[in-house]
Amino acid sequence: MDVVAVDISGRHAVGGRYIMVSASVAARITPEGIEKTRRMRLVPLVAESVDMEVVIGLIEESVRGLSGVVLAEKGDLYNLERWRVESILGREFKYPESRGERRAMELAHHASFAGRRLFLRLLEEGLGEEAEKSEEAGKMTAGGG
Amino acid sequence: MKGEKTAVLLFREDPKEEPHPEKMEELRGLAEAAGYRVLAEIVQRRGRDRRFQLGRGKIVEAASLLPEKLIFNEPLSPGQIFNIGKEFEVVAMDRFNLILEIFASRASTREAKLQVELARLSYDLPFVRTIESLNKLSERPGYRGSGSYDVSMYRDIKGRMAKIRAELKAVEETGERRRERRRELGFDLVALAGYTNAGKSTLFNRLAEETVAAKDQPFTTLSPTTRAVAAGDRRFLLTDTVGFIDDLPLFLIKAFRSTLAEIVEADLVLLVVDLSDPPELLRERVASCHEALWDCGCYAPIVSVLNKVDRIGPEAAKERCELLKDLAPSPVFISAGEGMGLDQLVDAILEKLPPLEEFLVRLPSSEAGMAQLSRLYDVAEPVEVKYGEEIEVLLRGRREIVARALKGAERARPQPEPGPETEPEPKPEPEPVPESEPEPEPETEPEPDPGPEPSPLAEG
Repeated sequence: MDVVAVDISGRHAVGGRYIMVSASVAARITPEGIEKTRRMRLVPLVAESVDMEVVIGLIEESVRGLSGVVLAEKGDLYNLERWRVESILGREFKYPESRGERRAMELAHHASFAGRRLFLRLLEEGLGEEAEKSEEAGKMTAGGG
Repeated sequence: MKGEKTAVLLFREDPKEEPHPEKMEELRGLAEAAGYRVLAEIVQRRGRDRRFQLGRGKIVEAASLLPEKLIFNEPLSPGQIFNIGKEFEVVAMDRFNLILEIFASRASTREAKLQVELARLSYDLPFVRTIESLNKLSERPGYRGSGSYDVSMYRDIKGRMAKIRAELKAVEETGERRRERRRELGFDLVALAGYTNAGKSTLFNRLAEETVAAKDQPFTTLSPTTRAVAAGDRRFLLTDTVGFIDDLPLFLIKAFRSTLAEIVEADLVLLVVDLSDPPELLRERVASCHEALWDCGCYAPIVSVLNKVDRIGPEAAKERCELLKDLAPSPVFISAGEGMGLDQLVDAILEKLPPLEEFLVRLPSSEAGMAQLSRLYDVAEPVEVKYGEEIEVLLRGRREIVARALKGAERARPQPEPGPETEPEPKPEPEPVPESEPEPEPETEPEPDPGPEPSPLAEG
């Protein structure tokens, strides 16, 4: 099964802003684990709030161009029902159930965490300002092995 | 009836969610397994009440039946238990507590008893703290008068938990050594896992030709049982383990870590699924099993054993298998009760077990060489042995086990004592020589410094 596991790191206020990085991992999985990682995409965002609109917008941007069922943790989407998230996102969506899906989520979590640390460092060095201002410039994409 | 335990079951349905009548059924099954006679089942569709979990009226209705206990499906906070007990003078318990009660009544081994006690104490700890603080709300006699008394119970529990954890760690280490020894003896480890009452023990009895207790009730098995099973040219050790249940709290999983280690350390997990469950419940239960496997850190390959296929038609079985396609890898239809599909299951097990490789090992034709040969006989299957100037033995086994056996023999060999006048003779090294060009390394990582490395010839 092809999935896109999404995880958002930085959903806590730092100096009144939310410095977030969403990582999407497009992978082919089996119920037991990951068969192949296809692509990985990191999208940074600095926002004033983390309401549903912001989160959905970030996830939408993060999974754009990656094919597969979107996976995300329940907490990231405020425990919304699956059908509700599907109708908002307009894409096939599910919460992780199998071991493979959880493994993909774990991968996305590590990627978003590392991505956020990188983003914070860039911001500290003044290099992330552009990423902060321009959404397009801030995207980081990597091909999977 | 005198001495009979009675209970009223209370279930709160979330107004935002679909009704789940099967969850009430599960709760009834658990209550009956714990030996309660269910007087009534009360369902209320509402949001959570802060004081009593359900509305006051429903609690009054339940308490009017004079049960020994009120059993709630939803988890109760320490404050809610306190409030219900104080206001309605009836003992309230939740589903987790009920599960713990079943475990306590069934625990027969020392390990199981310790695990149950640890789980009970982990569960009770926040309750004790809350109830102590609630009792102190009105007054605290004397300046620092009762302070030491009030926290002593909490401290006692913490101390006891530390003691049990230490004992369980020793049990765990013993189990680890046992599994290591079993692996060294050439056995593959296969564990049965699955939702409670899925038929794991019945399947265990079928495969191992055993007679462990297998009943149509949840949590019949608490302590693991292991038996050897010979299938084709392989022999593996099959372990029956405790079942999983939905919303299993993490402290319970942690308490049963030494039992669950049998699953974590297995080479293969047989995930037993009760296919006769209603479709909507089936998926949920298999997902719970995946969650529990993930929580206990099990990464072994899985064979999905779709059990009780005799209770539904073949068409329905296929439909349900399709429903589980993203949750059930390598599915095999069986009926453990009727003995159907067991051959296919054994084939699936053999296919998924780590492959055997063929090795050609050359040993010196000496006493030490014979000792090594004897050791190799224990852990691998000899295909051909030629005695000449050297002993040439062709055997099939698992790479790491053969390597370990050779390494172990190296260690076991006594070192010659160098005399004052004689030079120490060089130790004859048993150098396994490849018969043909060595093939590329298999995917599995070889162990660091495995001693005399056997040479793989072909995969078994």
